[in-house]
Amino acid sequence: MRLLSLLLLPSLVCGAALTPDQTKNNILSFEYVWTTIRDKHWDKSLDGDKWQSVHDEFRPQVERAESMDASRKALNAMIAKLHLTHFGVIPGDVYSGLHGGAEAMDVRLIEGRAILVSGKHKGWQVEGVTDAIAKVNKSYEHSTMRELMASRAIASAAGERKVTLSDGRGHQAASEPEEFAPHGEPATFGNLPTQYVWTQSRKIGTAGYFAFNMFLDPGRLIPALAAALEDCAGCSGFAIDLRGNPGGIGAMAMGMAGFFIPEQGELLGTMQLRDSALKFAINPRTPQFQGKLAVLVDGLSASTSEIFASGLQDLKRARVFGSRTAGAALPSVIERLPNGDAFQYAIANYVSKNGGVLEGNGVTPDVEVRPKRESLLQGKDDALDRALQWLQQPH
Amino acid sequence: MHILCLALFFLAPEDLPKGEEVLSRYVQVTGGRAAYQQVHGSIAKGTMALTAQNVKGSMTVYESEPMKQVTVVEFPGIGRMEEGTDGTIAWSSSALEGARLKQGEEKAMALRAANSQTKFLDWKKLFKSVETLGLEDVDGKPCYKVLFTPLAGKPETEYYDKASGLLVKEMATVTMPMGEVAVSMTIGGYRQEGGILMPHSLQQNLAGQKIDITIESVAINPEFPAKRFDAPADVRALIK
Repeated sequence: MRLLSLLLLPSLVCGAALTPDQTKNNILSFEYVWTTIRDKHWDKSLDGDKWQSVHDEFRPQVERAESMDASRKALNAMIAKLHLTHFGVIPGDVYSGLHGGAEAMDVRLIEGRAILVSGKHKGWQVEGVTDAIAKVNKSYEHSTMRELMASRAIASAAGERKVTLSDGRGHQAASEPEEFAPHGEPATFGNLPTQYVWTQSRKIGTAGYFAFNMFLDPGRLIPALAAALEDCAGCSGFAIDLRGNPGGIGAMAMGMAGFFIPEQGELLGTMQLRDSALKFAINPRTPQFQGKLAVLVDGLSASTSEIFASGLQDLKRARVFGSRTAGAALPSVIERLPNGDAFQYAIANYVSKNGGVLEGNGVTPDVEVRPKRESLLQGKDDALDRALQWLQQPH
Repeated sequence: MHILCLALFFLAPEDLPKGEEVLSRYVQVTGGRAAYQQVHGSIAKGTMALTAQNVKGSMTVYESEPMKQVTVVEFPGIGRMEEGTDGTIAWSSSALEGARLKQGEEKAMALRAANSQTKFLDWKKLFKSVETLGLEDVDGKPCYKVLFTPLAGKPETEYYDKASGLLVKEMATVTMPMGEVAVSMTIGGYRQEGGILMPHSLQQNLAGQKIDITIESVAINPEFPAKRFDAPADVRALIK
């Protein structure tokens, strides 16, 4: 009975009208978000009448909000006026549980369907998520972020429940509990919820291959890359797989690029802050890999992944394989709000080495290879195969 | 004509102390020259925090005459970061960035930072000039604004509280591979350590990022292991 009461408590709280304290904290949170954007956005023109009018439009909505959801809706509507990624308010309870099982669902929108791209059911379709896909298709029809948002919406719709999978050849199966469980080592960084970081390293023929799911935990991840490169000193080439990698700590892009650039003074790009510009300068480091370099990306490669891929592409150090990235590349930070929610906001614009704005554009691969369900069902990886073909060709 | 003279009298600026007088007073109010001359090395331990992002790590600063300094910061989720100088070279080394030798203005600034005692006792060894520019309020208190022009590198501005004589704020431009970045730092929490009044609370603003440094303990004139100020192996590998 005690357990039941505890389980019910959250829904009772959600359904109840806001207390005066909650309303007060929501207003404080609104003011914090509005002021932070005004004072920290790299575009100083926000510090003017237009942003003030946005304040005057939305603050009454927060004051009148009768639920936390209504208050958040008003806040997010205000933020949406910026038309930029990496800005948003995340509900406190969601924020605390962001590492749920669905996060580990490696799913892509392929030929209009939700298709798993790795694991036991590679190539199988996730059933029962049509509505989620339709909503994303409508909202992100012309956005580079469509694939990223679709993947998240599918995972979210599937949630923690068992989902039905089909192979398109008349076979169906239920997902297994461990199939979408997070794997890797837990990693934390500041206000970011606990994430699970994994790396994969192997030799394929005469080439090396290194994949990782996030730019986090540099104390473990960067030595792992260094070890893979040590093992691959005589390799004809090396592939870094950033497909599905949403980014993480921006400085890691510079740190990892240093293994492939022998000269001081090269840049991946520039981060334009409100009052200054920070160059993403590469620091050459050992072991230095001089062979061919391929970087694999897709529509879920975002942020630091895009910074890394575009910089090395612009420097003509790497050839990029796969499909266009998410175009969600603004450096951001996450802070806690007075009402317990989390507020993510971008602190800078980012321009790649050759002047390309990644936000909203993404990285266009040198060799475009979109995933095909039929190949996945056959156990193939078309983008990696194309990259390996190039890496293993003689110079 | 009489009225004009009176107006000029009231507009005349207050007589400002010379820059070196402000420095001398700082030495005097923080313990005096003799106390400083008793300090030949120190180990300061504390924390460094990026408060807004809830990132907090440990920090240890080792200093020894002449011009030797090593700072080690360890952040959970980032790992160990080390910066230092042995008086000849200046370096940084971390899992995140790798090893790097500092050059040019960045190196000059590291060498000056390792020479903090010289700055107060014998500033001409490090700076071309030290000038008091005027009086400005810092947190509502009038302070002498003093411009330090180094022998190498960009000028730095410091603010000394007019009433207490203590250093309360610094402003500088840091040159590093990521570019030139303006940095400001408020300084406080003065406490006695080995006969000298030292700041224990520093709030730095670097490119919009707030960094809080808290010094929890200071050991004066400790014994250092023989290689404490040697560059790490990955840095030494860069020296040809």
